[in-house]
Amino acid sequence: MKIIALLVSVALGVILLVATNDLPEWGDPQSPASTHLSRYYIENSMEQTSVPNFVTAVLADYRGYDTMFETAVIFCAGITVLTILRRSHRRKKKDVQPRPCREGQDIILKSAARLIAPMMQLFALYVLAHGHHSPGGGFQGGVISGASFILLSIAYDLEMLLSRLKERTIMFFSGLGVLIYAGIGAICLLLGGNFLNYSSWSKILQVSEVEARSHGMLGIEIGVFITVTFIMISLYADLASGGEMDEGL
Amino acid sequence: MIQSQLPILIIAIPLLMALAISLFGRKSDILCFYLLVLGMAATFAAALGTLSQVLSTGESIHYYLGGWSAPHGIELVIDHLSSMVLCMISGVALLVGVYSKRTVPAEVPFRTEHEKIPQRVPNYYTLYSLLIAGLLAITATGDAFNLYVSLEIAALASYGLLALGQGRAYFATFKYLIMGTIGASFYLLGVGYLYIKTGSLNMGDLQGILAQAAMQHSTSITIAFAMIMVGIWVKMAFFPLHGWLPNAYTLAPNTSSCLIAPLMTKVSVYMMIRLMFSVFSANYVFVTLGWQNLVVPMAAVAIIFGSISALGQKNLKRMLTYIIIAEVGYMVGGAWLGNANGYIGAVYHILADGMMTLCVFMALGAIIYKTGDSSLESMRGIFRKMPITAAIFVLGGFAMIGIPPTCGFFSKWYLVTGAYEAGQWFFLGALLFSSLINAIIFFRIIETGFFPDFNREKESGHHEGKVAMAEAPLSMLLPMVITALSLLLIGLYSKDIINGLIRPSIPPGLL
Repeated sequence: MKIIALLVSVALGVILLVATNDLPEWGDPQSPASTHLSRYYIENSMEQTSVPNFVTAVLADYRGYDTMFETAVIFCAGITVLTILRRSHRRKKKDVQPRPCREGQDIILKSAARLIAPMMQLFALYVLAHGHHSPGGGFQGGVISGASFILLSIAYDLEMLLSRLKERTIMFFSGLGVLIYAGIGAICLLLGGNFLNYSSWSKILQVSEVEARSHGMLGIEIGVFITVTFIMISLYADLASGGEMDEGL
Repeated sequence: MIQSQLPILIIAIPLLMALAISLFGRKSDILCFYLLVLGMAATFAAALGTLSQVLSTGESIHYYLGGWSAPHGIELVIDHLSSMVLCMISGVALLVGVYSKRTVPAEVPFRTEHEKIPQRVPNYYTLYSLLIAGLLAITATGDAFNLYVSLEIAALASYGLLALGQGRAYFATFKYLIMGTIGASFYLLGVGYLYIKTGSLNMGDLQGILAQAAMQHSTSITIAFAMIMVGIWVKMAFFPLHGWLPNAYTLAPNTSSCLIAPLMTKVSVYMMIRLMFSVFSANYVFVTLGWQNLVVPMAAVAIIFGSISALGQKNLKRMLTYIIIAEVGYMVGGAWLGNANGYIGAVYHILADGMMTLCVFMALGAIIYKTGDSSLESMRGIFRKMPITAAIFVLGGFAMIGIPPTCGFFSKWYLVTGAYEAGQWFFLGALLFSSLINAIIFFRIIETGFFPDFNREKESGHHEGKVAMAEAPLSMLLPMVITALSLLLIGLYSKDIINGLIRPSIPPGLL
């Protein structure tokens, strides 16, 4: 069986190599990928969306519908893991071996984490807000912000984190992020535009249509940020507590 | 205004409803159920709205997301074919939604008999709604990469729904997860090659570029096509890539299998047809490549393998999963015959097989709900105990055998005609063989169900066989009866469906 698997993998590798045969040269400026659509984005994204970072413009506006589903995928993954792993609290505590629990007494770790966590959160917000101008955005910022909470719960213990952020709260916010995204899109429908056509927000925001697109992108990035942050926390808490969401590592 | 926004409403309603269930349904399980049914009913109404729009104008609807025109932004394209599949998906979702009222509280929240897990029902319904949003988005999209993203969300939600079953369901679903991810990677790899060669992701745009002579004979494009097909075949459990399906579907909760068995494989077949004819073209697939002499016999093998394996199963649910594998062979074979009749048979079978799989799975689910058992023995005396459910099961079985006037007959008729025209004798033989096997399987079940256990009666001295009637509750019977009626209606109106919906969607180049 292993030999068959090896043969299949090798054959696949050969096929993939053959396929590269008539691909365009690496970095060729005349290749279809750099001439067909990309030129349009490079030339027009600034005047159409007033976002200088056209990667953000493509991701959050031209192909914002994909990104909405990507956010929903993260939400869906979080819910799936929670649904599968979640258990009820152990009723007979005496019968089971105690889980490895950190005492959370290390003063150096705790102090360092207390200093680092707010910095991380601040930086996460910067990455989120600066996505229009530099690499960054909701996904990256959300991961950093989620990591800051995980750092705290590693330095202290999971119980400390979960006593401040209840399971319900975590699930509420992870859904809320997707709702902000889809809601911004759905309100465009009420304002008379197509779904996710942020320019229709200009009626509410009192800015030009191009400016409204930029603001709309910031709005959906905030939604992505919230979902990613809380799904990170949820995944960590779920895995670290063995699905019981009470205490753990 | 609402008329022009219908295409996005079909996708946005289930997505927003999933969020509403997750945010506001955590206090009460029954509230989640009502929200779900409400959302699915609204989605079904929107799907019917687009169907009537397509039928009245006779043209496909293009919807530009974010207001960006076609190759630059993402567009939804709803034509005859996709509007039909959209109606089927949302209809099945609504029926199973109603059906789930009793089954979900009975089987979902418990890991074992004693352990009730908090928050499982709201999470279950959230995943349910996300699955439907994903499947509808796959069907409506006109963008090859957006199809991948939608596929991802549908697949993830289905892993969650399937894993909640009993026993080894986790392991079976884990296998499915690995296989499904490999399938999705193949698809993504294929789309990646297409993008490198063409610089576009929009299906219509891609088709235009791929029609150029240089593209027609490019090795990369050929390999991209092969990758995309293999990826989708994994997703639809096409023989020999079917290994994950029987266990994953058998061990899943009944509600999940009722929902996923009719939809997931059928939507994958739709994806295959969409990519073959709307991204590539009939000319490219059948003339330039000419792989039909490889794929159609493989489909025939899938049919024969599925049928024979089904014959050997003791567990009825597992038996039905093998029939699904055989049915996938019908549709792949039909689409690859390369003529109009084969195409009509395959597309009509998406609708017909979706409804008949739903019918038998729901009836079996009701029997399991009442008897707690899914072996052939559980069917003994079922006609006395649950006459309506049993009648529905038999009707579903007749459709699978292909007895007129149920819908199964007509799809087989077109498939057989197509196979005859294409000269694919092996495939034709496999179709007839599979009908025969299905007849054996279902008549065996009917025989078991109709006659009580004589031996046991003799022992206990009951000659009348006084089995108390114990019919399934109304929330389960109602969707079952509607599904069973739809089997007859789809069969009786097959001419209208084919002439009105399927013939206009026949891609150019198929005769």
